[in-house]
Amino acid sequence: ADEARRNTANREIVEQRRRLLDEWLAWREKTVQYLREEREDLGLATLSLEEAAVKEDDEANGKVVE
Amino acid sequence: MRPILLSGHERALTQVKFSKEGDLIFSVSKDHNACAWYANNGERFGVYKGHQGALWTVDVDPNTVLLATGGADNTIRLWEVKTGKLLKTWEFGTAIKRVEFSEDGRLLLGVTEKRQGQLSTVIVYEINPDPEAEQTSEQSLRIVCDELPKVTVAGFSYLSKYIITGHEDGSVSKWDAKTGELLQNVFVHDADLQVTDLQWSQDRTYFITASKDKTAKLMTVDELEVLKTYVADTPLNSAAITPVKDYVILGGGQAAMDVTTTSARQGKFEARFYHKVFEEEIGRVRGHFGPLNYVAVSPTGTCYCSGGEDGYVRVHHFDPPYFDFKFEVEREKENQSRI
Repeated sequence: ADEARRNTANREIVEQRRRLLDEWLAWREKTVQYLREEREDLGLATLSLEEAAVKEDDEANGKVVE
Repeated sequence: MRPILLSGHERALTQVKFSKEGDLIFSVSKDHNACAWYANNGERFGVYKGHQGALWTVDVDPNTVLLATGGADNTIRLWEVKTGKLLKTWEFGTAIKRVEFSEDGRLLLGVTEKRQGQLSTVIVYEINPDPEAEQTSEQSLRIVCDELPKVTVAGFSYLSKYIITGHEDGSVSKWDAKTGELLQNVFVHDADLQVTDLQWSQDRTYFITASKDKTAKLMTVDELEVLKTYVADTPLNSAAITPVKDYVILGGGQAAMDVTTTSARQGKFEARFYHKVFEEEIGRVRGHFGPLNYVAVSPTGTCYCSGGEDGYVRVHHFDPPYFDFKFEVEREKENQSRI
């Protein structure tokens, strides 16, 4: 019975994390989309200068972080 | 990997920052000096000397050409990163607690301390990114905090649209960055426990605040909504959002003189890692002998550094397990998106 209870509790934690991750990804998608449109409307590049600084360096060094 | 110790400062570190490419680290200390270091090996790149008091704050522009510093000598100074040449000094009536460039490096803000009958202000200058150019003495904006408690931290949002400020009373405000109009003021941290840090996500659409109330909060720019709360067991001085992995890093600890209990262990001088989305603590890194006054993450997401009350900067390059660690649901999500 203890094990059954533990399993149920674990399942609930996993369910909760799944929900949090989905919520987060949905919010990010919405926000990134909004920012992209704002930058486009202002005639700016997709990435800000500071975001581009990181990207360029990664490409230049052929770095793979993951 | 073993941490790299940057020893060159003679007194407590107050702020540390990475260049936007992630290759240099800038540090400021109560010893009046700002230093630049190579992030990969910890060698010193240069020292910026001239301030006549403790330094509280440092920031670097997105091109790593201009460096801004501010401190107890009531000045903001602008330096050329490469040569160490002092390009401009702006003088004020009180100490400078914070400087920060906008994402395009075209604006620089400063926070002046409330003291000697002077109100706390946020001032903005337009910056010419060319180090040869003359910099303006005219403020393009001045926000006087007369109705709100004093400002402790401030920064520019995405597109330099808003200025977000953190206050002594634990509240966070949003201002129109063009007009200086106050748009919103929300209480997010415990009353009268100050907001000690504010750091941005890479696109500056959300940020993290740290507070003496022992929590850090992840907040949206647009609604000033608290998305996440990270609970620690010690007053926090700093909080950073890691790129690449969904973590946040918190730093703090109580100075020995503030610790009423006996053991030094009570100080809790560790950097704490939490999962950004699940709010769960996943690890700690020890090493400092005093409170962590600032934590910063490389924009490349491959290392972080902490500046301590003990006078050291510690740089930690992340090991493979850091990148490999995933919650079951994260792995599941990745597998789904592959199909």
